Order: sequence, then C-alpha cells, then structure tokens
Amino acid sequence: DSTKGTDEDCEACPCPSGATCAVVPRTAEVVCTNCPPGTTGKRCELCDDGFFGDPLGQKGAVRACRACKCSDNMDPNAVGNCDRETGECLKCIHHTDGFFCDRCKEGFYGNALAPSPADKCKACSCSPLGTQGQQTSCAQVTGQCPCLPQVSGRDCSVCEPGFYNLASGTGCERCSCDNIGSTS
Amino acid sequence: PRPNVQPPPSGTHLVFAQNGRIEHIPLEGYDMKPDQAKTVLHLPGKLIIGVAYDCVEKMVYWTEISPSSINKASLEGGDIIPVIESGVTSPEGIAVDHLGRNIFWTDSSTDQIEVASMDGSQRRVIVATDLVNPRAIIADPPNGNLYWADWDREAPKIETAYMDGTNRRVLVKDNLSLPNGLTYEPQSSLLCWADAGTRILECMNPGRGDRRKMTEGIQYPFGMTSYGKNLYYTDWDRQAVVAVDTNGGRETSEFLPLKRTKLYGITTAYAQCPAGQNYCAAN
Repeated sequence: DSTKGTDEDCEACPCPSGATCAVVPRTAEVVCTNCPPGTTGKRCELCDDGFFGDPLGQKGAVRACRACKCSDNMDPNAVGNCDRETGECLKCIHHTDGFFCDRCKEGFYGNALAPSPADKCKACSCSPLGTQGQQTSCAQVTGQCPCLPQVSGRDCSVCEPGFYNLASGTGCERCSCDNIGSTS
Repeated sequence: PRPNVQPPPSGTHLVFAQNGRIEHIPLEGYDMKPDQAKTVLHLPGKLIIGVAYDCVEKMVYWTEISPSSINKASLEGGDIIPVIESGVTSPEGIAVDHLGRNIFWTDSSTDQIEVASMDGSQRRVIVATDLVNPRAIIADPPNGNLYWADWDREAPKIETAYMDGTNRRVLVKDNLSLPNGLTYEPQSSLLCWADAGTRILECMNPGRGDRRKMTEGIQYPFGMTSYGKNLYYTDWDRQAVVAVDTNGGRETSEFLPLKRTKLYGITTAYAQCPAGQNYCAAN
C-alpha cells in the first residue's frame, strides 16, 4: 500500500528475479505475473506443461524444469504428458506404462524401450482355452502366458507332445495311445 | 481465492488460454487490438486447455488439467464457479450451446464426449466409442449440430453428430494428420480446421462436403476460432495468435503475448449472441 507514507509501504515481490507481481484484489494475495521462461505458478514454483522439476526447491533440492522423460513413448501433440513436479509420465503410448513409460502395460509384452514402435509392446493374446483362469496378462519380457497343465506355447495354445484336448479348458489330457499301434 | 479479474471493454473480443491465464484481445472490426490485450483471469498453477464463451451470461468456461476440472467465471469479474469437479481425467475441448444451455467437452483419457447443463448437472456421455485423441469440439446451436476433431495418429478424423450424439458421421478423414483446431462460422456455414501435422488450414461446407485449402505452411496450430471472415488460431511454435482472412487465406496479423509460452484454446466472445432460433424451442 503505497498510500500510507511509511518506509514499509512497498515490499519486494516474492518472486524469482525478473518476475513481477500483483496483489489480487479482495483476497490481498500476492501472485507473480511474469515468471521466468518454463516456470509458472503463484511463486513461479511450477514447471510449464511438458516439463517437470522443482524450480524453487520447495520439496528438497532445486531441480530446474526439464522436458518430460517418457522413453520416447509420449506424443508431443498431447497435453499433460507428465506430472509437473515428479515427472511421472501420464500419457504413455505404444501400449507402454510405468513412471517413465518404460515397461509394457498389462496385457502386453516386449521391450518398451525398443527404438521402433513396431518392436515395442505386443499383445499377450493368451489362448483363453489353455491359460490359467483365462488370464489376459503375460510375462513382461518373454510374453509367456500362464498355461494350464500340459499346455505349452507362449500363448498356451498347444498341448505338449503326447497330450490332447485343449478344448477341455482344464489342461490337456494324456493321449494313451497303444505303444504297439502308434508311431509316437 | 478470487482471481485477478479486469473487466474487458464491451464489443467482441478473442479469449485464449496461456498456461494459468485467460487473456483477451479486443477486436476492432476484424483486427486484433494488441495494445488493449489484457489478462482477464489469472489462475497461477493451473493448466488451462480449452475455452468456450456463453454469450448469454457473458461467462467463460474452461477445461483444466493437473488436476482436472471444468470451471466458469464471468468475464466482467466474479468468482470462479466449479462446473465439473470429478470424473474428468483429461478434459480438452469445450463448447457452449447458448440456446439449449448446455456444455459439451471431450476427454482425451476417457476418450468420450460428455454433455451437462451449464451448472454441471444432468451430465451424460453422448459419444463413447471410436475416439482416440479427441480434442476440439464445436457446437452449432441453431442447427443442432456438434463437430469434433480426433488427432489419432493412425486414423485422424473430423466428425459430426446431433447434440444428443445421434446421427454421428465422419466428415473428413483423408489427408489429415493432427487436426488440433476446429471452428464453425455460422454466417458462412464454413467448418474450418488447422492441422499441426500437414500444417494446412482448411475449410469446408459440412452440408456440401467441398474441401478447400486456405493456407499452407502454417507452423503448429493448437486452438482455433472464427469471427466473420477471419480465422484466428493459437500456435505452439510461434507462441502467438494468428489471424487469417478466409477470402484468399492470407495471414493478416499476429499477436505475441508478453509471456513467451505455449498458447492453448481460443474462442470468440461475441458482444451479442449471434441471431438464431433454439432448435428445441418447440419441445
């Protein structure tokens, strides 16, 4: 309040250097109005969209705002790709998931970090007949689905040699072929 | 806490979002008046994506993310009024039906289009299938139509439907890449879009289906609006609002805000509501 006529009438803006501030009418709250590039918030404490960090070190060490790090599994045309403070990726693409979009999402397997999208994450496509509890998820890297007894194959779609009747849905049964009359 | 609100002068102006601010630029004729540009709402820490204007109550509606919600405030000063506070994950485009008194919005995480009354009540999902990255949404209240754009990298498209989600049709799907901006000019019946992938600004009459290129080689459009013969779009690379004349497609002017950061949604705040009958007046 510059009208009181004392030395304390004007206070310095509680903002990083270069920023200006304004008093919100009615609430008398002070907000910074011209935060340094890449930062925003009442005290310039937040990073812009697409960046993350803790520019004022409010939660620990000062971390300058950096671009979201999502393992090439985010789309630059999207908004809100990562948490502005922690950097947690929020909009993973190419069927990836995880803090840095660094693993395949549930129901997919492969290498989320592969350079080409086609090589990244593929659908588990577990065979409903040969998979335990008709699960749709598989091992992260190998893609092995959890097979019922005597069922094999990555997707649990075939019976082990000497076994048959995948269609039972409870695992494959021994063939019980006569040793003499059979070739295998 | 009430934001820093400065009432804009009367007359038509553009309203656009830049991070935690809603700014306005008065129009004189079709020209932007950059020296009279002002912040009308200062919302530090918010990330505002879409903006829409209700010419009846002179309120601006906006979507924000992290955290996500839909809010409104009078452009002439007043508190922020929450409209939708839960069940939105990544709301992006927003449109106002000033005749039917409804709002429509897209959500790029739930991949849905929803409608609600202007106070957020009577909420309903109207499009829930075949959406991947829905963004811009536009209402044409006199004709009862909605238009929206989906920048799905595998199959981008511009679609239309009635305001209840029925009679859904794909209007444009060929030679599209990242149709971020979309606008409909009621006087000329032109639907125009700005594509950040092909970098082309294009228009068509939705009834006739005749596409025509307005401007090629634009930079990185995000939001778009129209007023009479002019189109105005926000650009992520230029960090500017760009005006284009639809007669000839020439860029007529640009507005560079003082703050150098990305610009998001933009809408036209008409001085008066455009003339038009309520399509539902009879029922």
